[in-house]
Amino acid sequence: MQATRYLLQHRQPMIRFLGKRTAPPKLDHTPKAHPASPTHSLPNSFAAYREKAQQHGPLNQKMEYSTSGAIGSHSGSSLGPVEPASGQYFDRSELPKRFRRTPWTQAEIDAIESGGASMF
Amino acid sequence: MLSRTVPRCAARPTALLRPLRPHGAPVRPARCSIDRSRRGYASEAAEKDLVIIGGGVAGYVAAIKAGQSGLSVACIEKRGMLGGTCLNVGCIPSKSLLNNSHLYHQILHDTKQRGIEVGEVKLNLEQMMKAKETSVSGLTKGIEFLFKKNNVEYIKGTGAFADEHTINVNLIDGGETSVKAKNIIIATGSEATPFPGMTIDEEKIITSTGAIALKQVPKKMVVIGGGIIGLEMGSVWSRLGAEVTVVEFLGQIGGPGMDAEIAKQAQKLLGKQGMKFKLNTKVKSGEESGEAFKINVEAAKGGKEEAIDADVVLVAIGRRPYTAGLGLENIGIETDDKGRLVIDQEYRTKLPHIRVIGDCTFGPMLAHKAEEEAVAAVEFITKNYGHVNYGAIPSVMYTHPEVAWVGQNEQEVKASGVKYKVGTFPFSANSRAKTNLDTEGMVKFIADAETDRILGIHIIGPNAGEMIAEGTLALEYGASTEDVGRTSHAHPTLSEAFKEAAMATYGKAIHY
Repeated sequence: MQATRYLLQHRQPMIRFLGKRTAPPKLDHTPKAHPASPTHSLPNSFAAYREKAQQHGPLNQKMEYSTSGAIGSHSGSSLGPVEPASGQYFDRSELPKRFRRTPWTQAEIDAIESGGASMF
Repeated sequence: MLSRTVPRCAARPTALLRPLRPHGAPVRPARCSIDRSRRGYASEAAEKDLVIIGGGVAGYVAAIKAGQSGLSVACIEKRGMLGGTCLNVGCIPSKSLLNNSHLYHQILHDTKQRGIEVGEVKLNLEQMMKAKETSVSGLTKGIEFLFKKNNVEYIKGTGAFADEHTINVNLIDGGETSVKAKNIIIATGSEATPFPGMTIDEEKIITSTGAIALKQVPKKMVVIGGGIIGLEMGSVWSRLGAEVTVVEFLGQIGGPGMDAEIAKQAQKLLGKQGMKFKLNTKVKSGEESGEAFKINVEAAKGGKEEAIDADVVLVAIGRRPYTAGLGLENIGIETDDKGRLVIDQEYRTKLPHIRVIGDCTFGPMLAHKAEEEAVAAVEFITKNYGHVNYGAIPSVMYTHPEVAWVGQNEQEVKASGVKYKVGTFPFSANSRAKTNLDTEGMVKFIADAETDRILGIHIIGPNAGEMIAEGTLALEYGASTEDVGRTSHAHPTLSEAFKEAAMATYGKAIHY
């Protein structure tokens, strides 16, 4: 052990104890080319889909936070908090369309009023 | 946005949506056009957190990892056996045949000098195949057990996308079902690339799948493609008595990843065992003549044509992603010019909840690479963070001697313009290799000339496939050759050759 200590005074090993593994504090989830991708690029469809899909609803923050207009071009964290502040709630009408209630159809209203008889 | 202290449900009338019908009346098809499934109130089959299409190495590892992470997970596999190509028709059965054919070959040719007299040695190919099947079935059943242990639902059938979150499954036992999932992982693997103009029948013209199941030893075998699969399977049948000729388009065997110096040595050693090589040669066509074939070849750069006779032709020119029948057109996911599904750095397709891992996407088609991706992809789902170091993925060729490498080869380092140094150590100077009378091969380190950081490690020799693990760890940690050289390695072991090659890189080896 003494010999090793003496040796280390003159030589710094390249292998070091890195400590317990943790996720990096800042993570950018914006789509980028896969490290093994032969072209080192992503097709435009990735950004186009994100633009269309509005994955960062329900806040409709696109205009407020996004400068380029492409949602996929910014990290999720830069778009601001997804959860509302304490004591505040989102109205269902503020959510993206897929979370809203679908409107009643006349057939459904009839079915309820007739106890289901109108369905047969 | 509202400030609210009362639950929202109190503000709206409750509505009974369940259709009523007179007690005891039969259920009749509805006449009006209410789609009762369009609202989410009725109870449907629960949506899974994750559904994985493909139960190969990538798929089953992802399924187990997801189960361990507490996700509700299902894995769809159409083969009826888990493990995919690797366990059923790839790595595992071929290693069984490689090991047992090596034993047979050694008993035939390498016992007298060891002081072992053996009588008549006979090959029982049927039994050798049974031993292979026992290994395979034991391992595949083991995965089924792990599925149960980790609460993975195993769906035996062929899955295809109905929409972005729904997969329809044609069940093997008949019938159909569908599963919905928040996240989907595609892990459908790869298949052997066919050779244009040759119809694979898996008996006479075979891929690696047929090469592990031949019913008799062919007299003459031509292997098209001198990559790892071709050389491993060529080795098996050469050891069992076939006259094997390998035809390779490139100027070296082992594929482009293998270090040129190592590849040359491997070719020499395999040649000594009886395999013949035709490098820089392209196959033009194959003709059937009775029971046999004539394979017409010519020099890659053009030249005189030549015909090689064969009873069996092994097509081993590579593998291609397998995504047929997945219904990708229903969700608009694209593939690149080689059929690989396009993904980003987190394995996401353009639909962020659908990820792809393993052979059907970018990177080398290796089972251990697929396993790493499986764990990382599930960690991206559960922890938002995962990682695979594509610069430290080892490759192994399980011939005898084995060839293994990790990191860059000398031709790649040279091309990058980095100043480098090389250290080698031959197994002929290693005590354990000497006692084993198995001294062919060497260990080669390539390191940065300035920092001594390891850039690549290449081994040809006994147990190279096991030894490369130390090299991979060293590369992963960014070690220098001196770090390895100053680490104690047990004596007498083959691994001392590894240490001494490291010593030869930054200084001098002791025993050479």
